[in-house]
Amino acid sequence: MIHICEITEQHSITNNIYRMRLKAPMIASSAKPGQFIHIKVRTGIDPLLRRPFSIHRIDPGNEEIILLYRKAGRGTSILSQMSPGDSLDLMGPLGQGFDLQTSFDHAIIVAGGMGSAPVFFLIDELLKAKKKITLLWGVRAGEEIFNENEIRKQGIELKVATEDASKGHCGFVTDLLSEYLSKNITKNTYSGFVCGPECMIHEVQKIVESVDFRWQASLEARMACGVGVCLGCAVLIRERGFQMVCKDGPVFDLREVQFNG
Amino acid sequence: MVDLSVKIGSLRLKNPVLTASGTFGYGRDYDEYLDIAQLGGIVTKTITLNPREGNPMPRIAETPAGMLNSIGLSNVGADRYLSDKLPALKNVDTVVIANVAGDTIEEYGEIVSRIQDQSRIDGIEINVSCPNVKQGGLAFGTNPDITAEVVRISRLETEKPLIVKLTPNVTDITEIALAAQESGADAVSCMNTLVGMGIDISTRKPLLHHILGGLSGPSIKPVALAKAYQIVQVLDIPVIGIGGIMTWEDAVEFLLAGVTAVQVGTLSFVDPYGSIAIIEGLRLYCQKNGISKVENLIGGMIQS
Ligand SMILES: Cc1cc2nc3c(=O)[nH]c(=O)nc-3n(C[C@H](O)[C@H](O)[C@H](O)COP(=O)(O)OP(=O)(O)OC[C@H]3O[C@@H](n4cnc5c(N)ncnc54)[C@H](O)[C@@H]3O)c2cc1C
Ligand SMILES: Cc1cc2nc3c(=O)[nH]c(=O)nc-3n(C[C@H](O)[C@H](O)[C@H](O)COP(=O)(O)O)c2cc1C
Ligand code: FES
Repeated sequence: MIHICEITEQHSITNNIYRMRLKAPMIASSAKPGQFIHIKVRTGIDPLLRRPFSIHRIDPGNEEIILLYRKAGRGTSILSQMSPGDSLDLMGPLGQGFDLQTSFDHAIIVAGGMGSAPVFFLIDELLKAKKKITLLWGVRAGEEIFNENEIRKQGIELKVATEDASKGHCGFVTDLLSEYLSKNITKNTYSGFVCGPECMIHEVQKIVESVDFRWQASLEARMACGVGVCLGCAVLIRERGFQMVCKDGPVFDLREVQFNG
Repeated sequence: MVDLSVKIGSLRLKNPVLTASGTFGYGRDYDEYLDIAQLGGIVTKTITLNPREGNPMPRIAETPAGMLNSIGLSNVGADRYLSDKLPALKNVDTVVIANVAGDTIEEYGEIVSRIQDQSRIDGIEINVSCPNVKQGGLAFGTNPDITAEVVRISRLETEKPLIVKLTPNVTDITEIALAAQESGADAVSCMNTLVGMGIDISTRKPLLHHILGGLSGPSIKPVALAKAYQIVQVLDIPVIGIGGIMTWEDAVEFLLAGVTAVQVGTLSFVDPYGSIAIIEGLRLYCQKNGISKVENLIGGMIQS
């Protein structure tokens, strides 16, 4: 579906990360964690293509969806200059979200950079389902960590890694994961979730090779159509060959993803 | 009431707007967004005899008012096209054109013969923009003799309307268009993507894995319009205009330049409903300007 949605709120979290609220009743009532929306940042022919963004959170009471995005180029710069009252043309919810039907008690979530965007929606749903949650969150600089208190108050175990050593562990979130897995060999049934840049997801794939519970990864790829038509966003999946990130994903079983190199 | 119908050879289209190959899947992928029965027709994704996986990533990149692609003719192959894809278009009241390609001249004949007895296929579009594997890898459609041979072999296999989709990456497109006409094509469609490339200067990597790709979208419209116009001047058979059409105004421009119908490609990615909006815009334009038949617009450019 195409929706014309009004921006109800927008503010910056750091000097290049923004949070935007949109009135989108149909999406707010039907979206699942891990799904995304495809935004035409402005009418006209340039920039031409839509931009994909995960649904960061949903506020069903206000029929709103929330996005969290980093200013990365032209499209996101245009978005960052928009104000409440402006409208956006968006398609969605698109793609297959996380599969939360499998039985597990304890979710380990690895989020890197803007991979934190879909993670909050995921956490909201996991809390509703009364799951235990461990969040390993890696960012470049400590200022990119937000909602820390809310997260901890909800009973979530939070470990942070920063590359600039300004908060938590100095280094990568994958260090936190290796350490966590080495200490926590329990009888709990776990399930893993990973969102972030491809190199990080690839690294996580190597680290979790020896653990025997399921991991789901949310992937990114350049997109044109967002609905499986252009065949531009392919990813190689074991046994299944090329799959489309937009339609068959963006969430895939981590072990089945074949990364280049 | 405005009569929007046009004729491409023996094919009657309810209006002159079709969706272009590779930008509309096998016809049903956009059902959530539009009623395909309102379209003049659908050209399905290029199929080859055997399924193809396509090229490594990245396959697409955005450019100013356009995009580059090197999908690599990823497709389900003739068998699945016939068993799964075509039946899904049964009972849809619009024209269906199957687009085909091969690695060799002979393969064009084989694929055409394989699909040509299907009643659901109203016409066949031949994609000659892919590499001629046996003869150096240059696209079939860059050489008039090879184009002629591909068309001749295909013509022997079918009575269905045969449309040859031309590549603009040639010195003189009219020469190729004439070769297609002389070998029995019922129409030509013009044009496929322009060869293009881009480099990310921060990583120094090409934007596409295959370095070169096909440029499409509004940035190519003036080129596409010129090619269509040039071909219209020399051919007797109908021309279908393709390239950068985003609005009904673009479609009117192509009709005025002499094409009989248009195909919209990249537009569907940006606005899946865009093709229908063009049809509505055309109807209104004709109404407002007292044009009772859209056919009367064709070639209506007035030279100053
Ligand atoms: C399923 C999915 C969910 C996403 N969710 C979020 C999110 O919640 N928050 C967020 O900040 N970012 C997210 N991204 C990345 C986001 O789409 C890009 O940052 C954005 O498209 C950049 O656009 P731009 O015009 O600012 O950048 P430019 O570099 O100018 O864009 C040029 C082209 O490249 C594409 N592109 C550039 N970077 C990316 C990228 N990382 N992934 C995919 N395409 C890219 C653009 O869409 C555009 O077509 C997501 C990507 C995908 C595929
Ligand atoms: C992603 C993509 C895939 C395409 N695949 C095919 C194809 O399989 N066969 C074909 O004949 N043309 C293909 N084309 C070309 C289009 O049909 C059309 O000729 C071209 O994009 C120019 O029109 P446009 O500017 O309206 O997109 C493709 C174009 C794009 C952008
Ligand atoms: S973006 Fe077109 S197939 Fe995924």
